Amino acid sequence: MSGNRPLVEISMGIEAFASEWLHCDRISSYLARMVSHNRADSLLYANLLSSALNELLEIAFAHHGPEGNFCCRVSRSGEADVIELDLPCDAATLTFYSEAAQRLKRPDVAELYHSALFSPGSADPHLGLLEVAVDYRARISIVPDNGNRLKLAAEMALEGAAA
Amino acid sequence: MSLDRSYQASFNENNQEFVIAGKLRPRNEAEIRPLAEALDAALGKVRGTFYLNVKRLARLNNVAFRVITNLVSQVCDKRSDLRVEVVTSSVMGWSTRKFLPLASRLPNVSVNEYDQDFYPGQSYLEEGGFIPILRAQTKLTWTHERHVLPRHGLRPGMAMADVCCGIGDFAVLVQKEFSPASIIALDHSRTSLDYARKVAADFGVSNIEYVYGDASEMILEDSQFDFVTCRHSLQVFDKPELILKELYRICKPGGRVYVTNEKNSHCLGEPRADSIQWTYNEVARLWADYKMDIELGPKSRRFLIDAGFEDIKMDSFMVTNLDGDPQGFADIIQSWENVYAGEMARDRGDSPEFVAKFRQGFQDHIYAALHPKGYAGWPIWAASGRKPL
Repeated sequence: MSGNRPLVEISMGIEAFASEWLHCDRISSYLARMVSHNRADSLLYANLLSSALNELLEIAFAHHGPEGNFCCRVSRSGEADVIELDLPCDAATLTFYSEAAQRLKRPDVAELYHSALFSPGSADPHLGLLEVAVDYRARISIVPDNGNRLKLAAEMALEGAAA
Repeated sequence: MSLDRSYQASFNENNQEFVIAGKLRPRNEAEIRPLAEALDAALGKVRGTFYLNVKRLARLNNVAFRVITNLVSQVCDKRSDLRVEVVTSSVMGWSTRKFLPLASRLPNVSVNEYDQDFYPGQSYLEEGGFIPILRAQTKLTWTHERHVLPRHGLRPGMAMADVCCGIGDFAVLVQKEFSPASIIALDHSRTSLDYARKVAADFGVSNIEYVYGDASEMILEDSQFDFVTCRHSLQVFDKPELILKELYRICKPGGRVYVTNEKNSHCLGEPRADSIQWTYNEVARLWADYKMDIELGPKSRRFLIDAGFEDIKMDSFMVTNLDGDPQGFADIIQSWENVYAGEMARDRGDSPEFVAKFRQGFQDHIYAALHPKGYAGWPIWAASGRKPL
């Protein structure tokens, strides 16, 4: 997002990212700790940010185009931090995220999330996005880029969110 | 290899408590099948209330959340007699909010944010009114501790944690005198931490991180500090061994944990020694009634050995009215009287006659401190142990 102060960015091929599930946990833990150091309660903030970021990374891990660069970037906008995932995208991926974007706009998104949390059978594939939108009160935007890439951004103000 | 077994799970049949700690972010259900089987078995064994303790579960993804809550839901649907209490902690930030919808769905599930039960009397000591006492206490104890700390291994450049840092003034003094590479100062009182951050900012101190946390369930990672301090705090908890376990965990192998504690019944003064002695014996009883041990000081060696430390070092020193301004010493005693003979005695239901005598001992201690020929003392034990390599 333009105008934000960039803090940290990790970039790699999408195949490398998606080759190892632990990347989600490790990237989210590392980036969260890095960007939280100057928050009033750095550990609490890092724990919250890591939880939200991990959900987004797990979604990108499962839903992305076959090849191209993957970038995870965190920037600061006033009191809020903005997580941006920039990933390759094919038709199926685009459909997946477009449907997610539609659901995130619904006025009953909190009910959708709580229902998805306990749904029987396989998990709702949008569950992580719904959680970040509802539990972390994130403003999420999903924007296709040139037909073969996609930018997912989540802006959230976590300071004091746990109190 | 994607399996990251960075979680711990255990079941205690005696208190029907299933504890999950660490990090739980599996890719699929199969990765945490052992956990699911253990939880399922535990749920099958209990009657009455089942405690699902996630206080020290730092990370949890939705895959694991659904495995856990599906099992709980299945059992609760079948067994209306069973109550499930999910025990979360405010320290983690996310866990209470995450589990609350489960309680909304199932009438026999409740979610309780654990924080206060562990600190039976601490609320008397940690609210804002106690800040002046804490400042005065640190000022007087520092005249001794600045000489004691090097003997216990504190050196420049160390990574240090100050657990139960209170208002953070000790961390600032250590930073100025010993120049550790970094200090993480942790406390469970948001009031104290707010004050600590303000003091650090006022003094231009920037390399102390003040973090909110529970000393018995810290979010800090294992084996990362050369020197861990925990001052005047084991005596405030009814389970000091749990704190020591955590101090041990976060200390590097070869690093040292340093604790200070009191033995209040050994407070003394002349003149009026008998009255002073009586009152401080009663202080020890009062604290014991609130499940705190203000007599813990000399027991520190045993606690450290039992926690697994080696090369134990012990020192004791007497803070006295001669350490600086006698009025500073007198102010500390007055603030003790205000809290101990005030709120704490009242809440215990003490009679007016007892409270009057109780107060007199504090006043006599103040008298001794301010008397031109008087002497008043407050003994403290400093102990440290090394975590084995």
